[in-house]
Amino acid sequence: MKSDIPAVAFWCLAAGALAVVVLLVRQQLITRALRARNATLEGRVKARDEEVRHLATVRLPALADAPHQPVLVPGLLDRRLAGTGFEQSLQDVMDLLAGVVDRAQVRADQSAKAALKASMRALQALANEQQMSISDMQDRHDNPDVLRDLLEIDHANSQFGRRAQAIAVLCGSWPGRQRASSPMTDVVRGAKSRIRDYRRVQVRTQVELAVVSRAVEPVVLAVAELLDNAARHSQPNTTVEVNLQPAHNGACIVIDDAGVGMDGPEVERATRVLSGQQVLDVTRLGDPPKFGFPVIGVLADRYGFTVSVDTRSPYGGVRAVVFLPSALLTQIETDDAYAAPPASVTPSEPAAGALPTRRPPSGAEEESLREGLRMPEPEPSHAQPQPDTEPEWLLGSTTGGLPKRRRRQPATTQPTSPPPAPAPAQGRSAEEIARRMGAFARGTRSGRATPDDDEGNPL
Amino acid sequence: MTPPNRREKGLVRPYVVTDGRAHPTRNTFDLVTLVVAARDRPLGGLSPEKRRLMQLCMPGALSVAEVSGHLQLPVSVTKVLLGDLVDSGHIITRAPIPKAQLPDAQILQEVLDGLRARL
Repeated sequence: MKSDIPAVAFWCLAAGALAVVVLLVRQQLITRALRARNATLEGRVKARDEEVRHLATVRLPALADAPHQPVLVPGLLDRRLAGTGFEQSLQDVMDLLAGVVDRAQVRADQSAKAALKASMRALQALANEQQMSISDMQDRHDNPDVLRDLLEIDHANSQFGRRAQAIAVLCGSWPGRQRASSPMTDVVRGAKSRIRDYRRVQVRTQVELAVVSRAVEPVVLAVAELLDNAARHSQPNTTVEVNLQPAHNGACIVIDDAGVGMDGPEVERATRVLSGQQVLDVTRLGDPPKFGFPVIGVLADRYGFTVSVDTRSPYGGVRAVVFLPSALLTQIETDDAYAAPPASVTPSEPAAGALPTRRPPSGAEEESLREGLRMPEPEPSHAQPQPDTEPEWLLGSTTGGLPKRRRRQPATTQPTSPPPAPAPAQGRSAEEIARRMGAFARGTRSGRATPDDDEGNPL
Repeated sequence: MTPPNRREKGLVRPYVVTDGRAHPTRNTFDLVTLVVAARDRPLGGLSPEKRRLMQLCMPGALSVAEVSGHLQLPVSVTKVLLGDLVDSGHIITRAPIPKAQLPDAQILQEVLDGLRARL
């Protein structure tokens, strides 16, 4: 019996040891698993820390810096987090911030635009007013020295007006002036009037096309900005050449400068801005702000013309092409029609009284002429009455519907055939008119029969 | 009513028209100087204002004041243009015509007599 005890003890111990070993192994396994898990979790926590730091230092600033351009915001740092709730939360934060930034941006933009627009409109109105007084002064003073000073003031004022106008347009305002349809040449020269170095701009060609009324001012403004850029980015001794070219479904204004030109990225950026599609932010035009291209982009988009600057000019600079579609163009009566009546009288002997006949100016012109210059009305002269037998003292009518009258119709040339009566009034019969005319003719005849004294007065 | 071919005033400023000059090349113009276009000169190469001026003066003589009124340009600016055109031989100037006679008393008398005979 006694010998059984050690054996029993041994077996007990062995079983205990086995259990311990099993437990130890299990413990070991559990510990290893826990360690691994711990390490994984630690890694994940670290990754999330990194991710949050990445969010705070890279992604959110990028978002804040570049609103309206969601694609440029960098993504997650750690791909393993993709699809987790953590990523979702981060995205929520991003979205929230994007919303806040957008709203703040829009608000800032709106208030900046509103403030700028209001002040620029006021300046624009002042510039226009001043331009009118300068024009009046130019009309009033007939002195070259005064004119020289006035031209300088006028020039400065035009540039000033253009700047104010450009900023106002950028802030969503209308270009402001309503103008009559004008020939393209005048449109380009109007643009030329508004830049500093206008003397370097040469308009080479003339076309017979005109720009429709509503597009005159925007096109003038856009071309002025292009000319200003061209003149500003080229040597002062070079010229800026402007060519007008009719095209199949529109016309082009081609502006060539001999300046520094633009490199690839600049052209790309300019093209983007000039398309007018890009959302414009007044607060991000750079320092100093660059208004030119954004203004052109806004105008081009609004009025439907296109501007491209992606070709090089033959002189190495930029070639800017403004394409005006047919919808913005019209035909205008040329000045040849204006002075059309072929001169039958040659100005060979303009002696006193034998002044060649000329087209009577239309009413409005004559009026402005007389008002502006205080001209005495030309007296009819009778010294050498012209043998003018054509009875057409009514030469059709003016464009305004008023009858045109030949002014110096000598009264003594047709004593017995009085001019036809002016459009008879409704209530008068033919006999009555004939009677009146006859009486008038008799009167003139008897008047001539009366003898005069030597001063020409009837006795 | 605005004639359709009226130029938009104020679009092209006077300094562009004269290319910045304010002094005419000659000081021989006054308001009533008559200008006559020389017909044999080509109009190519002239600025639009000079061309219009030539077209205005083609049918006969015009005074400087009339020219400036038709062109809707200040008189002093017109004089600069005229100075250039005289230099290039496009324009010939003439002294103003003597003041024309007043309306003949005879005509007035005729009118009066005619009215008397009627009434």
